[in-house]
Amino acid sequence: MTTKSNPYRILVVDDDKDILLLLSKWLTDDGFDVVIAASGEEALDRLNIDEPRLVITDLFMGEMSGMDLLARIHAENPLLPVIMLSGNAQIPDAVKATHMGSSAFLTKPVKQAEILDQVKRALRISPERQQQNPIASEIIYKSKPMEELIELAQMVADSDITVFISGATGTGKEILAKAIHKASPRRDHPFVAVNCGAIPEQLLESELFGHEKGAFTGANQKHEGLFKSADKGTLFLDEIGDMPLSLQVKLLRVLQDLEVRPVGSTRSYPIDVRIISATHRDLDAVVKEGEFREDLYYRLKVVPLHMLSLAERREDIPLLAGHFLQKHHNIGSKKQKHFSPDAMDYMIQAPWPGNVRQLINVVDLCATLSRTETITLNLVQHALQDEPCNLQTLKDAKQEFERNYLISVLKITNGHVANAAKIAGKNRTEFYKLLGQHNIDTADFRSEKNPLTSKNLNV
Amino acid sequence: MSNSKIPVTIDIDLEDLIPGFLTNRGKDLGTLRNALECSDFPVMQSIGHSLKGVGGGYGFDRMSEIGAAIENAARIKNVEQLKELIENYSDYLTRVEVRFE
Ligand SMILES: Nc1ncnc2c1ncn2[C@@H]1O[C@H](COP(=O)(O)OP(=O)(O)O)[C@@H](O)[C@H]1O
Ligand SMILES: [Mg+2]
Repeated sequence: MTTKSNPYRILVVDDDKDILLLLSKWLTDDGFDVVIAASGEEALDRLNIDEPRLVITDLFMGEMSGMDLLARIHAENPLLPVIMLSGNAQIPDAVKATHMGSSAFLTKPVKQAEILDQVKRALRISPERQQQNPIASEIIYKSKPMEELIELAQMVADSDITVFISGATGTGKEILAKAIHKASPRRDHPFVAVNCGAIPEQLLESELFGHEKGAFTGANQKHEGLFKSADKGTLFLDEIGDMPLSLQVKLLRVLQDLEVRPVGSTRSYPIDVRIISATHRDLDAVVKEGEFREDLYYRLKVVPLHMLSLAERREDIPLLAGHFLQKHHNIGSKKQKHFSPDAMDYMIQAPWPGNVRQLINVVDLCATLSRTETITLNLVQHALQDEPCNLQTLKDAKQEFERNYLISVLKITNGHVANAAKIAGKNRTEFYKLLGQHNIDTADFRSEKNPLTSKNLNV
Repeated sequence: MSNSKIPVTIDIDLEDLIPGFLTNRGKDLGTLRNALECSDFPVMQSIGHSLKGVGGGYGFDRMSEIGAAIENAARIKNVEQLKELIENYSDYLTRVEVRFE
């Protein structure tokens, strides 16, 4: 039963009654409040009733394994610490469990001191955990939503849990990924970033997984691959939403098996990397369109973090502007400049489609161009107009071009697919597939309807 | 086999739990013997596994060792070894003498 003095309630899950008794005894003697469950199913029921602060679960149990339970728990509450107990010290299980967010993986028989130590670590009530690398040292913010986000990031930093960062271009996804790495126990190992949208499909596979010498034409040398370069560190898969489907399958397999097989190689090797991924796309929508695998998405977004656009946190603008101005000043060595109050007000209200990246450009431009110490409203207005904000990504531009092209061809052919396909140099199946991807209905182009007034078109 | 006692020192805090614990281990022995009789390897493997997990936690390290050996022998279906191990386990249970400290 609940004792008022102790806020920490722990749910212990094991199908072995004697283990439950033993762990309960140890934990209650140490002042914790313990509830028990004899199966994963029972544990899920208990979670909502008892609202524990920590779960300790056996790995091998009847119907639902500890790993399944971990996934179910984290689907609802990714921050609830889960400690795994296993009868077998199998490294792949341990690695998989930590990727899925377990705080610790202990092998039975477990000793009292060991379990209490891990429990306290996971609950952050052990003294050594308090002196942490603050994640926030390089990320500038004061808004409440950013504060909450950073707090969340701080909490997930010191495990191997897989993190997924969404948010528009220039909002700071990469800087956050880097900060998580730096605050993690992997900080002394590499942080490797790869832009999955910028590398051609054929190259991306060997870039990620490596290749043997002679694996394909042009492979004159063995290449170790980014998974290998990031060994013991963090691999940042940027613009994951642009990863081609064919590679998504391969990536999924790597994340499931925690093994990589280089292109042209017959052997796989185990990997030890933490995965952080990011995209500016609305991946839920991309999944619905069938362009991104749902199973991979679930594996990546164990902990989803969303970066707000600058317009959603305008309180941060003055602080950020000041910070970048200071930085600019440190690079050049003239007198420190500052924004006039009306210039600052203008910046606070600007739309900032290019987010923090655009803000940096505007600040740099103003600082360079201003002949006076005070940066005027006029200059800021000019800088904001001239700044070529928010170029589309290549993929978005291609998409838009493709859509417009299809529409033009269908207009010319009055919606006659066979003719349209011929003009486009595609067979009909391929052409239909393209139309489907762009959600274009050929009926809108048939002659009885006037294509130019059809609502479905947004050319 | 000798009849001498095998002394084991157990944390006094666990005193209340030990009688029930040992009763369950006696039941395990029964199950192991039945399973051996009808060559039910999965059952032996599973009991060996749980003995391994539970023994050392309570302070019976030797029990964990025997459990691990049973799990392993059942996995490779080595009947001779299993016979011997289950007798070792039985012998251990009769001779073990708990002292609380
Ligand atoms: N909160 C912040 N504090 C300081 N610098 C930031 C912040 N957010 C973004 N930046 C800077 O803005 C630029 C764009 O950020 P980046 O992480 O590359 O964005 P994204 O990956 O979302 O496109 C980088 O130079 C980054 O260092
Ligand atoms: Mg980026």
